[in-house]
Amino acid sequence: MATHSIAFHERVDRALDDGSLQTALSRATDRFVTNRANALALVDDFDDLRARGRAIRASALAQLDDVLVRLSERIEARGGQVFWASDGDAARQYIVELARARNVRTIVKSKSMASEEIHLNDALEAAAFTVVETDLGEYIIQLAGETPSHIIAPCIHKTREEISELFQQHLGMPATDDIPTMTRTARTVLRQQFLRADMGISGVNFGVADAGAVVVVENEGNARLTTTAPRIHVAVMGIERVCERLEDLGVLLQLLARSATGQKLSVYTSILSGPRRADEPDGPDEFHLILLDNGRSQIMGGDYAEALLCIRCGACLNACPVYQSIGGHAYGGVYSGPIGAILTPLLQPELRDVHKLPQASSLCGACQSACPVKIAIPDMLLRLRADAVAAGKADAIERIAMAGWSQAMANPALYRAGGKLASLGTRLLAREGRIGWLPPPLDQWTRQRDFPPFAPRSFTELWAERQRRSAGDGQ
Amino acid sequence: MNDAREAMLGRIRQGLANNRAFLEREALAAPHTPPPFVHPAGDDDLAERFAAELRKLAAHAHLCADHDAARAVLCDILVAAEVRRTLSWALPAIELPGLADDLMRIGVERHDVSIAPTAAERTAHLHELEPATACISGVDALIAESATIVLLSGRGRPRLASLLAPCYIAIARRDQIVRGLGQAIARLQQHAAPDLFADHSSLTFITGPSRTADIEMTLALGVHGPRDVHVIIYG
Repeated sequence: MATHSIAFHERVDRALDDGSLQTALSRATDRFVTNRANALALVDDFDDLRARGRAIRASALAQLDDVLVRLSERIEARGGQVFWASDGDAARQYIVELARARNVRTIVKSKSMASEEIHLNDALEAAAFTVVETDLGEYIIQLAGETPSHIIAPCIHKTREEISELFQQHLGMPATDDIPTMTRTARTVLRQQFLRADMGISGVNFGVADAGAVVVVENEGNARLTTTAPRIHVAVMGIERVCERLEDLGVLLQLLARSATGQKLSVYTSILSGPRRADEPDGPDEFHLILLDNGRSQIMGGDYAEALLCIRCGACLNACPVYQSIGGHAYGGVYSGPIGAILTPLLQPELRDVHKLPQASSLCGACQSACPVKIAIPDMLLRLRADAVAAGKADAIERIAMAGWSQAMANPALYRAGGKLASLGTRLLAREGRIGWLPPPLDQWTRQRDFPPFAPRSFTELWAERQRRSAGDGQ
Repeated sequence: MNDAREAMLGRIRQGLANNRAFLEREALAAPHTPPPFVHPAGDDDLAERFAAELRKLAAHAHLCADHDAARAVLCDILVAAEVRRTLSWALPAIELPGLADDLMRIGVERHDVSIAPTAAERTAHLHELEPATACISGVDALIAESATIVLLSGRGRPRLASLLAPCYIAIARRDQIVRGLGQAIARLQQHAAPDLFADHSSLTFITGPSRTADIEMTLALGVHGPRDVHVIIYG
C-alpha cells in the first residue's frame, strides 16, 4: 500500500492502533538502544571519537566539489566509470540504459537508501528486468510489496508468522515458524540469484576520495556477493557521503557500527576501488559509480546543510520516543525518525503532508545525544516548523489557536481569565485525574493519549500567595 | 563524461558559498587523526585478545605454536566438517608450507577461482564453485580488539575464497596482529605505498560469521556468507 498518499495523522493513528507493530517496535528499539549503550561503555572516549567524526565529515563537505572531483578521477583512473546524476530521473535512465546495452536480465541489489529514494526498482521492473533485493529484511518487504520501516532493520514491523506466510506463498517453504529454517530458505533461493545475476547494485556508506574507493558496510554478506559475483557492479551514492582519506575510516567505521547496531565493527566492510585488476581471479569486470545529487546541492546552500553530515546509522530513530511509538512508515518517506523528519521534506518535497514531519518530535534531544556526528536535530526541527508557518502551511486551527495565545499573552487580564476557564473546563472533563475525551478539534490529541487537567490554582496565584506569606514571615 | 558534472559542481559551489564558513569551523573543531585503537589497552597478549573477541562472536580461534601445528588444526577442522571441496587462495599466498600434501592426504579437493570474461562462462564457473563447503585464505592483518580479519584481493587471492562456502578458515601469523583498526589501516598503507589499490580492487574487513537479526530481532548466523568462521594463528 502506498502510505504516502494518506494524511500524516491517519498514518500515525494506524501505527498506534497496530498492536503487533507496537510490540515489534519496542522490542527492536530497546535492543538497539541497549546494544549501543553497551558498546559505547567499552570505548575509551566515545565523545572524542564523535568530535573527530564530525570534523572529518565537515571537512569533506566544506570542499565537496573538490572531493567529488578527486574521487571520480581516481575511480576513472582505475578503469571505473562515474556518472553524475542531477536527479533521480537521470540516475534511473543511466542504469536502465546500461542494463539494456549489456544484455542484463537479472539484477541483484544490496541495501541502498539512495536507490529507494529514487524508486530505482520501479524503473528497472518497468523496463522488464528481474530485480531481487538480497538483504534478508529488504527481500522480505519486496515479497510483501512494502517499503522499509527502519534504516538498519527494514522489516522490524513484520512478525515471524507473517514472514513464514510470505515464504510459504512465494518460495514454497513448508509451514514453520523457525527463524533459522526461514533464513536457510532465503539463503538457498537468493544464492541461485547471485550465481545467475548479470548486474549487482549496491549503496555506498562512504566514498573515499584519495583512495578512489567506495565503502559498503553490512552484516549478511549479500553486499559482498552483490559486488563480487555479477560482471557489472553499479554503486549508487548520495554526493554528500564522502570522506577524504582512507584513514578517516579509522574513525567513521568505529562510529557507524557502534551507533547502528552496537557492534565493534560490522561483519563485512568492503572497500571497493574500481573493477577487478587484470590478474585478479574474481570481482566485477565493470564498475559504475552513480553520484546522486537529487536535491542535496540545494540543501548545501540552505539553512539545513548540517543534516548532510549524517552517516545513516539509525541511532536517532532508536532513541526517539516518537519513532518508538509510530515506526518508520508513518513518516511516509524513505528516511524516517528525527533525521528523516529533516531529510524527507528536503529530499522528497512532493510527498503529502511532508511539512508536518518536523511536528513529530517532542524536542527532547535524545536524537542529538545519540548522533555519532552530533547533528543539532532538535534545533533544525524547530526551525523547519517555523518555516512551515512562515510559508502559510500551518493548519487553520493551529493558526487560530496561536493567534488567540499571542493575544492572551499580551493581555494579563485575558490570560488569567483564560487560565481560570481552562482549569475549570478541564477539571469538569477529567475522570480519575485524566481527560480521555475532548471535543473536536481537540480530540486530535485525546484520540491517542490522555490529557492532564489544569491545576486548580494557577502559578500566578500560588506565587502571589507565596510572596504574601514570605512578606508576613519577615515581620 | 556527462554535462551534469559541471552543473552539479556549479550548484555545489553555489551552495558552499553560503555554508563553507560553518563547515570549515566544524572541520577545525577536532583533530581528524584516527586513534590507533579505541578500547583501553591493557598488557594483554594480542593473540589472546583476538581469540577472546572472536569467541564472543560465536566463531572459533585456534592458537598454534608453529606452522606444523597450524596445518594439523586445519586438517582436523576439514575432516570434522567432512569437507571434500574447498575454494582457497593460491597456496603460495597462504604461506603454509606442506599444505598441498596435507590436503591431498585427507582427500580434500582445492578449486582455483578464475572468472572468465563472458557472461555465460562466468555463470558456469560460479556454479562449479558453489558446491565447495569450505573457504581457506591467508590474511593481510588481524585486528585484536574487534576480532577482525583484513584481506586484500589480488593475484591468487580471490574475494570468493572468504565468502562463498558455509565454512571459512583464515590462517594468520602471530606477527600479523595489530590492536586496532587505526593501526591496521596505517600498516596497510605503509606496506603498499604510495597506492594501496594499484594492484588490489578490494580491501575487506571480516568480523565474525555472516549474521542477520532481520526477523523479529532474532540473531541467525550464516545468512549469505559463512556461518562457521575459524581463525588459525601460529608462530
